[in-house]
Amino acid sequence: MIRRTHPALTAWAWLVYAFLYLPIIVLVVFSFNDSRFGATWAGFTTKWYGVLFARADVREALAHTLEIALLSTLVSTVLGTLVGLGLWRYTLRFRTALTGLLVLPIVIPDVVMGVSLLMFYSFVRAGLERLGWTFDNGFWTVLLAHVTFQISYVALTVRSRLAGYGPELEEAARDLGATGLRSFTHVVLPLALPGVLAGALLAFTLSLDDFVVTYFTSGSGFSTLPVLIYTNVKRGVTPDINALSALLVLVTVVAIVAANALLRPRRQP
Amino acid sequence: MKRAALSALLVPVLLSGCYRVEKPAQAQPGEATPVTRGDGRTLRVFIWSEYIDPDLVKTFEKQNGVRVVLDTFESNEAMLAKLQGGGAQYDIAVPSNYVVQTMIRADLLQPLDRGALPNLKNIAPGFLNAAYDPGNRYSVPYQYAATGLAYNTQRYVPQDTWAEIFGPDDTRTFVLLDDPREVIGAALKYLGFSANTTDVAQLRQARDLLRRVVAKQGFQGFDGGPGTRNKLLARQIDLGQIYVGDLLIATEEDENVQVLLPRQGTTISMDTLVVLRRSPNPELAHRFINFILDADNGAQLSNYTYYATPNAASQPLLDDFLKDIPALNPPAAWLTDGRLDFIGELPSGRPQRLYDRIWTELKSQ
Repeated sequence: MIRRTHPALTAWAWLVYAFLYLPIIVLVVFSFNDSRFGATWAGFTTKWYGVLFARADVREALAHTLEIALLSTLVSTVLGTLVGLGLWRYTLRFRTALTGLLVLPIVIPDVVMGVSLLMFYSFVRAGLERLGWTFDNGFWTVLLAHVTFQISYVALTVRSRLAGYGPELEEAARDLGATGLRSFTHVVLPLALPGVLAGALLAFTLSLDDFVVTYFTSGSGFSTLPVLIYTNVKRGVTPDINALSALLVLVTVVAIVAANALLRPRRQP
Repeated sequence: MKRAALSALLVPVLLSGCYRVEKPAQAQPGEATPVTRGDGRTLRVFIWSEYIDPDLVKTFEKQNGVRVVLDTFESNEAMLAKLQGGGAQYDIAVPSNYVVQTMIRADLLQPLDRGALPNLKNIAPGFLNAAYDPGNRYSVPYQYAATGLAYNTQRYVPQDTWAEIFGPDDTRTFVLLDDPREVIGAALKYLGFSANTTDVAQLRQARDLLRRVVAKQGFQGFDGGPGTRNKLLARQIDLGQIYVGDLLIATEEDENVQVLLPRQGTTISMDTLVVLRRSPNPELAHRFINFILDADNGAQLSNYTYYATPNAASQPLLDDFLKDIPALNPPAAWLTDGRLDFIGELPSGRPQRLYDRIWTELKSQ
């Protein structure tokens, strides 16, 4: 039983999509433009991709971006899944407050998060310096910052994935003789898995794209691709940065599509 | 429970990034002990993107057997925020002149050791001892940009006057810089006032003028350098207010785009080299600054960035192409006859609020 949508509505939908995606398409097209300033079309070229890969700073930033994204995804997925499961499984006294705390990193502006983390690190550093120790902002501070906002996303996806199931599933498994560990690995985890994977992919793309928090929490000599791109914008985007952005868009789209596929509710037979 | 587990996990992670603080050789009495980990082999520079020739960096690295790490920022404010947060240990930063005072007041800079900067003599006297840093105690001039009027000769060749935009003629299409001090400053220059005026009557005149200007048919909005450059390359507009360097770089692609300085004078903004208070390698930082102040290196720098050099000794060594552009090399007399105004810090209070209000009004018109 499929209701036909009104043609005007369909047209409107297409307009909205065009509005959302045309700039990205233009960006991708212009990464093949043979003009340095990209104002006018000067012919097709793939040279900017070559220029891009010849840049040592880009390669270094790419390595940093992937290291941070992979590691922070791993950590936040484990921690976030535990939080999500806990929220689902147990009746906690401060459940609402805890859920609110989880939503906080998602809704507060990036700038607030970035600056507050920067201040937090300075505070910690000041304390450590009194003990004769110190640290520079860099890999670890960025990693920690990413984990802090990723946990929320993972926990909430895991929790909403499990929302439809009651604790009776686990109880049934226990009744049938499964140990706690076994019921977890054979019942709870398989149910939660699509949520875990989707959360992980979300966390990964968020880490990949993040500029503001990374900018504030990274130290000298440590930049990621978004930071590199954004700080290059001041004097005009060079076409190799267009090429880089196009590649980032590609990776992000692939990850999001994968996340969506995993989140799609499975049809019951 | 979970929180405890979380902290248990985070603490070792944090600590693994730590190291012991080396006691500085000489802590000055009464000052907070600076944290130094300078091995004298890595210089960290916080700078605008594409603002230094990579070959110049390589030369310095080779000459001194050191490594130079360049990090970029996209606005003075973002740079300031990061430095004040204290997260990053840079030796050198490249703030614009109007931020230098803020940085001095925030105790972010250390006084320069003049003995380590013999090449300072190369800087044109007009660029030394400026109001933002009397006696150049904390900063030395790096590169500067005058704000000019850009055009595409294939579309329209303007006169060298702000009247092209601010005059009564309403047949030309134009954009203004998306920056309050630049736009209000240009209007003030057109009216014959200082771009840093705090005189309320003068500011009111500028406001009334700008109201009329943004109401013109040809006004195409406010834009940054790259946007204006692209519109000129695409011949979409007749005129654009732009930093000279931002336009000149486009002449490589299309020699029809040009830029001029209006005869009423204009605003300039100087980017400077400063050594940060917490610099781990102040000695190396001074060596780098002195290296930049060298005549040959200063010329190489401008030949790469297309920004103007305050280095008098570099001037004759610029590429011929750059030497021939008047907008890049304003007459020395302009510096002293009040036609070139450094954009300066405004006193807080009434004038500051008036600038803000004019700008808000223009943007919402």
